Amino acid sequence: MKTPLFVTTTLATILASGMTLADDDCRDPVADWQPHDALRQQLEAKGWEVRRIKVDDGCYEVKGLDQEGNEVEAEYAPASLRLRKLEIEYDYDDKEYDRSDDDDDDDDDDDSEVTSRRSESRTGPDSGIVSGKPSVRIE
Amino acid sequence: MKRLTLALAFGLAVAIALPALAQAREVTFNTELKNYGGDGAYVALYLTDADGQYQGTLWIAGEKSKYYKHLRDWARGSGQRSSEYDGLTGASVGSGRSLTITLDLADELIDAGYEVRVDTAVEDMRDNRADVVVPLTTEGAGKPVSGRGYVQSFSYTL
Repeated sequence: MKTPLFVTTTLATILASGMTLADDDCRDPVADWQPHDALRQQLEAKGWEVRRIKVDDGCYEVKGLDQEGNEVEAEYAPASLRLRKLEIEYDYDDKEYDRSDDDDDDDDDDDSEVTSRRSESRTGPDSGIVSGKPSVRIE
Repeated sequence: MKRLTLALAFGLAVAIALPALAQAREVTFNTELKNYGGDGAYVALYLTDADGQYQGTLWIAGEKSKYYKHLRDWARGSGQRSSEYDGLTGASVGSGRSLTITLDLADELIDAGYEVRVDTAVEDMRDNRADVVVPLTTEGAGKPVSGRGYVQSFSYTL
């Protein structure tokens, strides 16, 4: 990716039955294709900001922002306008990843907090595979 | 088949919850990180079956649960339910540093087809699902393996 600050998550969603995972191209006959604008309206109705729609391997490829402001790239079958592939970039730089929250000093403070909480409230998980309290060391 | 597997996993969990009935042994997991030159890494150590189906959490390094979604495979398997990791969390692990966890595991989990997996994530850098995948066996104990992401070396002793 161009920007090292972004992390890409790929969620491949193949919704149409009869499509094999190996098939990357869309096979809809051109006569059946709906116009770009129909797809744009469908996505804008969901709250997306559509930057670009182009044709790639017979599919509509969309670039824009989803309703939460994440960068997205998505692929649609041009006749049915059904979603075939969706890629979402999570921006680590947004307020969830506020650096002032997460610098090392803060982590150390959190440590001592968690340690004292743990010793009074826990003897071990109620369900799960670990019995008792693990001991941990970072060096 | 899936239902049978779930029943077995549940059965094991019940057995482990009653320590008097289950034999456990102390296992130490050592995760050494590369000098990747970034912020502290979030690390998930967990068990899966041989098909990669999540079984349980061993440890989560990283204090802020809102970032746990970046430990991708672990997050999907555990559903990020706090009951899965309650009491099993600590600080994130700095670049070039080692995380050593010692805990008690039921004997039934060893040499039974289970795998230890490690997911890692660093702010402004990539998430690594399955940075490390190793079978949990007496044969594999003490044999370091390298990771695919931030993990330089991973090993466990029984």
